[in-house]
Parts: sequence; C-alpha cells; structure tokens
Amino acid sequence: MPETGQRAGSPADWTYLPEPARIVSIRRDAVDAVIELELADRRSLGHKPGQFVQVSMFGYGEIPISVCSSPTRTDRFKLCVRPVGRVSNALYHAAEGGWVGIRGPFGRGFPVRTMRNRDVLAVAGGFGLAPLRSLIQYVRDNREGYGRLIVVYGARNPSMILFRDDVETWGRGEDMEMLLTVDEADESWTGRTGVLTEPLEKEVELIPRSTVAAVVGPPVMFRFAAASLLEKGMNRRRIFFSLERRFECGIGKCGHCQLNGVYVCQDGPVFRYSDLEGFSEAVEARAPE
Amino acid sequence: MMRARSLPSYCVMSPEDLLDWTAGIMESGPVMGPVERPDQPGFHAFDLLRRPEDLVLRYTTTTMPPKKAFFPPTETVFRFTAGNPPGLTPVREEPPRVLMGVHPCDLSALDALDRAYSFPPPDRRWLYNRSRSIILGVDCVPDEYCFCDSLGVSQARRPCDLFLTEIERGYLVETHTPAGGDLLSGARTSDPRGQDFLDAEDRRRQKNLGFRGRLEADPDRLADFLESGSFREIWEEIAARCYSCGSCNTTCPACFCFTMDDVFDWDLQSGERRRAWDACQLLDFAAVAGGHRFRGERWQRVRHRWHRKFLYLHRRFGRPFCTGCGRCSRACTADINILDETNRIIAAAAKGGGRA
Repeated sequence: MPETGQRAGSPADWTYLPEPARIVSIRRDAVDAVIELELADRRSLGHKPGQFVQVSMFGYGEIPISVCSSPTRTDRFKLCVRPVGRVSNALYHAAEGGWVGIRGPFGRGFPVRTMRNRDVLAVAGGFGLAPLRSLIQYVRDNREGYGRLIVVYGARNPSMILFRDDVETWGRGEDMEMLLTVDEADESWTGRTGVLTEPLEKEVELIPRSTVAAVVGPPVMFRFAAASLLEKGMNRRRIFFSLERRFECGIGKCGHCQLNGVYVCQDGPVFRYSDLEGFSEAVEARAPE
Repeated sequence: MMRARSLPSYCVMSPEDLLDWTAGIMESGPVMGPVERPDQPGFHAFDLLRRPEDLVLRYTTTTMPPKKAFFPPTETVFRFTAGNPPGLTPVREEPPRVLMGVHPCDLSALDALDRAYSFPPPDRRWLYNRSRSIILGVDCVPDEYCFCDSLGVSQARRPCDLFLTEIERGYLVETHTPAGGDLLSGARTSDPRGQDFLDAEDRRRQKNLGFRGRLEADPDRLADFLESGSFREIWEEIAARCYSCGSCNTTCPACFCFTMDDVFDWDLQSGERRRAWDACQLLDFAAVAGGHRFRGERWQRVRHRWHRKFLYLHRRFGRPFCTGCGRCSRACTADINILDETNRIIAAAAKGGGRA
C-alpha cells in the first residue's frame, strides 16, 4: 500500500492507521447507498478493478468494501454499502461532506490482463454486482482491448436492483450484452424471472476458449454458476471467483480470512476456480438464519 | 569488546550479580519477566518488574505467553477526534527494554511470530516493538504437558540475545547477539570453567529426561499427514468435547489473530481504535456482516486450528506454529490435549484411515 499521503506518526504506526477521505456525494436508496469518496490529499486511490479498501467509520469500526468504480474514471472512487452491520449502517447514514478513513487498496483484483483480447463474462448475484461494476466500467473504458462484454445479473426482486442507471445503460446493448433477471417479480416487472443460471444456461452463447468469466455472488451461487459455465465447456482456469470474507487487517495478519492455505485478503479476493479446487472451505458456509 | 568475539560467547554470573545487573537495567527502562502471581501463589506471569528480586527464573510455564510484551492482549492503535478532516493520533506503548526469563519454547514462538508478522506487507507495530527490545532466555524443566523436544525446539535460542542456564556457580550466560553483549557489559561476570559447561550439559540431559509425552512423527511431516485424509471422525469427536471457548488460542504463544474495534469517548466526538487478541475457535470468527458463517460448525473450527498450526502456516512460513509448550492442553476446560489428539491423527494417517 502506498505509504504517502497525509498520515500522522512514523512508519511504525502506518500499518493500521487510515487516511482520511471525504464523502463527496452519497446516493441512498431503500437497500443500498453509493458513496463517492476523495482522499484528503486528493491523490487517486490507485486501485485495480476487484480490489477492496478497509473503510473506517470512526467510532463504529472498520470494514472491507470492494471499490465499485473503475480507476479509469476519476481520482475519486465509489463504494456501495448495504446496511447489514454496525459499521455499514453508520456508513449508509453518513452525510455528504463527512469523513471516513481508508486503508488500501488491498488484494488481487480481476485478471484484466488475462481478459485482454478475450470475451469477458461477468456473472453477478445480488450484491456481487458492486465489485463487478468496477470491471464492467474498466472494460467499457478500454473497449478496443477486449472482445465481447456479457453481463448476467440476478437480483432478488426489482427493488433490489443495484446501480439502476448503469443497468439501464448497459441494457441498451451498444457495446455490451446485458441479461437481467429477478428471483421474484412484482406487478410492474416485465423482464426475466428466475435465478441467474437460467439465462446463463439458455441465452448466453460463448466461445469457451476465448472467454474469461468473473463470478461474484453469495456462497450458494458459486457452485451453480460454476456448473453452468463448465457445462458450456469453459475451463476452470478461465473462471474467476471473488470471495467475501471477514477482514480486520487486509495484509494477511489478523487471520480471519484464512481459507485453507491462503489469505483471501492477500491471495484473493479474486481466485481462479482451478486454484480453489481441493479447498474444502471455499464456498462452504452456514447461511444466515 | 564483545563485538569482536565470535558468538555465541560464554561467561558465568552469580545470582547476586544477576540481581545487581537486573537492578541496573531497570534504571534504563522497563523490564518484563516472570513474576509470581499475587492472586495465584506458585503460578507465574510475565509482568513488568517492580523490584529486581521479583524476577523468577525457575518457573514452570506461565499461563499467558510472553508475546504480550510486543503484542498486548488489548491495545490502542490510534485516537480519533471529529473534525474537518478528523484528527488521527497514532498510539503506541513502548515495549519493555528487556524481556527476561523466556523459555526455549517461547523463544521459538517469538521466532514464529517474527516470520508471520514480518512477511510482506509487514505488521510494522510488531517490527518496531521487536527492534526496541532485548530478549534474555532461560532454560527450564518440563512438566507433564511439555513436548517441545518433539518439535525440535527444546534447545531453541533464536531470537534471544542472551541465554541463561542454571549451574552450580549461578548461571552460564550465552551471548548470541552484539546487543546482548552490550547489555552484558554492565554486569559482573567471570570466565567459564570446564565444570560450568559440564553442569549446563547435565541440566540439559535432565531436561531431556523430563518429557513424558512424545509426538509420534517428525513435525515436518504433519502437514502431509493432515492433507492425507479428512479425519472427519476425529475432528467431530474432539468437537463433541470442545466448548469453543478459545482458551487454547488465547494461551498459545504462536497464535497471532486479532480483531479491531472502536470505542467512543463519552462526548461521542472522539475515541479510539483498539486491537485485541482473537480466537479462531469462537463461532463468529469467520462470520461476515451479511450473516454467512464460514466454519460455522464446531468441528470445522477444531480442524482449522490443527490445519493452521501444522499445515497452512507451516507451508507458508516454513515451520509449525506450535512449540510444544502445552499451554493449550493445560488451559483446556475439556481436557483436550494437543499432543494426544495430534498423535491420534498421526496414527490414523499411518493406517491410511483419514478417509476422504
């Protein structure tokens, strides 16, 4: 992590000392908030798509959040927050002009080099669209460097569709293909209904040898999405998962994100499917009660 | 003087001279060492010395390991004050200038933590604290839980600067680093005689006879054994007894997981971030905010502890993260003994009984 910027103390203090970042704007809807941030010294964050930052809401704590904007856009960066815990609730209710703390970026992001000149398939389940948005933006901003861009996004219901404006733009299909589905429709819904593996299986036609897939979603989704992709003839080495874990440090020290022999915060959060084989704990989880 | 000599070098110190020397060191900064617990006579804990004579060099294993000298059970990392931008003030407590009376197993554990915490990107708090302290080791007598010899660390010296072995004339002092030599230059010592080395050798022989249990395999092979099968029945059987209290983690000298939490001051305008030791045996250790629990089953957490100590960290840092100190077995309210259970795994693996 860059050890510059407006930091107090000496290097011995920097490991866990965040940098202040200002909340430039915040867009809240019923289920999520998208927070735009700028580091105190206006430096660019210097992240890659798929990396995460440790975000401090002083007095509440620190949590990991994937950056949901592409570094190709501005020096500012965006985070998508769903209020499910103490810190995320405080962040969701934060005010414009307020301050948070940032450490990072951390981890290995999506394999944008491996993806170069290949077709990119982004499979997003629920909140998984947030990290994938940075990749989608990145590919669209470097459009000539990549083949087709296909996004399959499954939301639980129409009101839980993230980044509505983006999803609408992407859906116009000018430089990409967008397949949107909801698990449960409401009266107003005219689009697809069903889990995302349905459009993935029935509607996506891909050339397995020249496609790289990035899959982000709840643990239960990985197995089904992976099965569909393998069914389509894709190689495990070309399928990438971004895993969610508890991170307290971001640098492979606190121990919380240990997944078999790897630290998700350092060796991931994006992993090749083939590298996770034999990892008993990769997608094994007790679901929320 | 000391710097010119090849290391390790040897000298002898009498108990009285050790006391004077300790008193002298205490004048230059805080000294931590084993002292008798006022609440539990006969038991010892690493604490800051108030008087030189409080230092106890003949003690059985402490309940809590000496890693706390550099990584306190709870500590403030920084203070914050609301503002535009918020004010952040780093907080670091100065570590003891000298950490005294560390047994070989605990020296070996500090070596383990040095590897883990200096692995890039490093934990700079640990590096800083370690660079500020001098460590004085001391040899010991094993009790029924000790099995450090099975892990090959019963004679560990790294990363100590000085090491004491009790002999007839007092202590045989080994100097392992120039910093240790510098610290020793303020002490009254005498040259060692042949008998002093014989005394020390005799101590070591007695120590080696004192181990009651043995690991039934080379510790470097444990990683392969653990990978050779699922051992699900063994993990579940241990889990059936385990309370997931985390005492094994808290007392382990080579455990280093932690958690961070914020605390507001009463004015809700300022406060601090605190770091505290954490335990992988606790239910929510690997839980995420959305409610998913990775390793939500107790047997998975039990397996995780063994895998981490003998497989994951061994592969990553080149050594097991167990030193055979026996603290976890002593502390376990369910009498789960790390040596016995590891030997069960070894026996099952030898029979090919891990089962996939």
